[in-house]
Amino acid sequence: MAETPVVDIRRVGKAFPNVRALADLTFDVRRGEVVAFVGENGAGKSTLLKILSGDYQLDEGEVLLDGQEASHVSPREARQAGFRLVRQEPEIVPHISAAENIFVGELPQRHGVVDFARLRADAWALLEECGFDGLIDPAAMGDTLSPAQKHIVEIARALKPGVKVVAFDEPTSSLTSDETERLFTLIRKLRDRGLGVIYVTHRLHEVMEISDRIVILRDGRLVDVCETQSVTPDDVVRMMVGRDLSYGFARTETTRPEVVLEVSNLSSRYHENISFKIHAGEILGFAGLVGAGRTELAKVIFGDIHKRSGEVLVVGQRTRIRAPSDAIAASIGFAPEDRKGEGLILVRSVMENASMAVFSTLSRFGILRNRMMIDTVSPLIDSLEIKTPSLEQEVGKLSGGNQQKVVLARWLAAKPKVLILDEPTRAVDVGAKAEIYRLIDSLAKSGIAIMLISSEMPELLALADRIVVMHAGRLSDPIEKSEASEERILNAALGQQAA
Amino acid sequence: MTNMSQTTTQRSTENPLKAITRFVGAENLSLVIALVLLVILIASQTPFFFVPRNLMNIGMNLAVVGLLGVGMTIVIVSGALDISVGSIAGVASVVSAIFVTYVGTVTGGVFMGVLAGALLGVVNAAIISYLRVNAVVATLATLSAYRGIAFLVAPEGRPIGVLDQSFAYIGSGRVLESGSFPGIPVALLLLVAVAVVAHFVMSSTVFGRAVYSMGGNPAAARLAGINLTRMKFYIFTISGALAGLAGVLVTARTSSGQPASGTQGLELEAITAVFLGGAILAGGKGTIVGTMLAVVLLATLSNGMNLLNIPTFYQLVAKGFLLIVAVAIGQWRMARAERAQARASLAG
Repeated sequence: MAETPVVDIRRVGKAFPNVRALADLTFDVRRGEVVAFVGENGAGKSTLLKILSGDYQLDEGEVLLDGQEASHVSPREARQAGFRLVRQEPEIVPHISAAENIFVGELPQRHGVVDFARLRADAWALLEECGFDGLIDPAAMGDTLSPAQKHIVEIARALKPGVKVVAFDEPTSSLTSDETERLFTLIRKLRDRGLGVIYVTHRLHEVMEISDRIVILRDGRLVDVCETQSVTPDDVVRMMVGRDLSYGFARTETTRPEVVLEVSNLSSRYHENISFKIHAGEILGFAGLVGAGRTELAKVIFGDIHKRSGEVLVVGQRTRIRAPSDAIAASIGFAPEDRKGEGLILVRSVMENASMAVFSTLSRFGILRNRMMIDTVSPLIDSLEIKTPSLEQEVGKLSGGNQQKVVLARWLAAKPKVLILDEPTRAVDVGAKAEIYRLIDSLAKSGIAIMLISSEMPELLALADRIVVMHAGRLSDPIEKSEASEERILNAALGQQAA
Repeated sequence: MTNMSQTTTQRSTENPLKAITRFVGAENLSLVIALVLLVILIASQTPFFFVPRNLMNIGMNLAVVGLLGVGMTIVIVSGALDISVGSIAGVASVVSAIFVTYVGTVTGGVFMGVLAGALLGVVNAAIISYLRVNAVVATLATLSAYRGIAFLVAPEGRPIGVLDQSFAYIGSGRVLESGSFPGIPVALLLLVAVAVVAHFVMSSTVFGRAVYSMGGNPAAARLAGINLTRMKFYIFTISGALAGLAGVLVTARTSSGQPASGTQGLELEAITAVFLGGAILAGGKGTIVGTMLAVVLLATLSNGMNLLNIPTFYQLVAKGFLLIVAVAIGQWRMARAERAQARASLAG
């Protein structure tokens, strides 16, 4: 086999109105290797993937796929040429089966009728080949699939015959550690089969584990392409952000004796007998697999999901929380995981989004006081360093990290005693992540009790003072920071609990 | 305006033209231009348009649709739709006529008409909230049911004559009438008053901002402590009450309580005005100012078509066409904004 790279990118450039998204990129992806793309949000990773997948057209340079000119292709042509993109948020049709979702557009037919027997067989075979058998029922309807299962469907779609290069865009954001392990096994298998694999993620430890080479992008330009073995994570981060930045985050414990949030024997349709306490200034980490019931627990406490029994006490006071408004009145704040779906009103302004939980305190006789709104929101914009041209800016036009900070600003405006943060750094770039960590740390220092739900182990280990693990609607005993380790948490999350 | 004082405080030294633009809203500027063009077009075709009496008539005619448009703006911004407003106006028309003619109370007539409308709005909200019926389907059902109620309430299902002069004044009276100046219709003043209050409520009150929030993203609004069920009751009650007031106007204007005539098909005009005024079906966007401009535009168009002797059948086709144009423009704007946003987030 000649040394033709499977993807050859030559002096590629791309511009959008007012912005240069990519400039002068040249590198290649070879057969049988895993190349990771890293860079902060906006560095150009997604733009590059979308050029390869045919979603965007490049303005300068050329792209060769397996030696064939592929600079200007449609998404369909890119697929046929062997480039397959596993999208971060897969499109799943809700009311057809997983198998149909995998083969949508290419359903096997006999006499003009869909051959369901063959469809099932093909789906089984494909899933088995990927090593995902047992994780998903091909007959399950699209809308019953978990986020992880939807991702599996998307991966299976990509691996249909004719594949030469697979690009994974943040594949593990909805996967559990176990599923991530299976994905890595699959990626190694694909590599050994001679495919080119592109792996895009914010999670550096994954990059270090799975990749052979790392392509580092910053502001649409290539910083370097390096052999993974020859660099350390700190080197990579330095090249990504172009400045020195401590990735490991040192938190000084600020736990005070008084209990701020006490949950006792809480039960709902998702949970049984949940009890825990969070002290003033303490960050209690909630680990667990996706689907273990952590987000639901947050929503039960916040009054958005009905609770069957149990008590929620804030600073020793019993609460009667039946709706989110009751929780807000009880000084609880909740920044949900799904920022765009449940957190923000993208078509409204920064000011409205940041002040909406406290409208009633910023008004007199139901009339909003503009001055008070500005006085409340402006300092928060400054202290959280939210980058926005004005308070009137539509939130949908901000970057992911800034959007997340607007959600935080909303709850800081409410001056909560308890703050529930559900995956606060999901889809946030490295630089903004460190900022959000510092922010959470300083909130704890100010005496707020923080319930931190996170699926990123390093995040929990860095921030949390104690960690509890949820498995199938039940909660483990708290693990002290000094005794916490990834293995111990993972075992508890998988239900293999000894301690 | 209070909601814009944020920007006003920053730029206090600017020319009045800019100030007007800001009040109207940049996105409504195209409406103003369309209106000007339409006026020029009509005036160039017929000498009867730019006559004080004709202009006064336009003002009088748009009051009913204008009131419905105010309510409909609130409903559509919240992410819903109320198709039953024309039928509610029909019930209110009959109810107010009954009170004025048979009970002999003008105030009672107005009050009971509005109250009837509000109650029917509450019924809409209850169906939507408690039976979880989609707002379009629920109000499509009540569109039929309320029309039936209007006929049932009217004795023998027939219109009720109203002879009271002071009541008629609400519908067809004019103030400042002198010489060649035909005066300003009372009904128009009523609409202006309602619209000003509604504009203030939507832009500067907790309630108004909550309506925008729930329309923009109901889940986020709920998790920010907004009680969506309660909001729906308020919104549909307001829409019903304003439809009731519109029905009262119809009675006062025509001197008879009409179960059907005069209120049928008004929902279409109100919905068209709201979308033409810049609202989107998904909710979260739309303004009272925009809707009012669109109401004026529609009334001018309708007046122009009458003056030019365009047959009613063509006018019906034109009305349907306009609704589609209005929504299509909205979709196009959304797509354009989304493209811009995608570009920004990718590049940013």
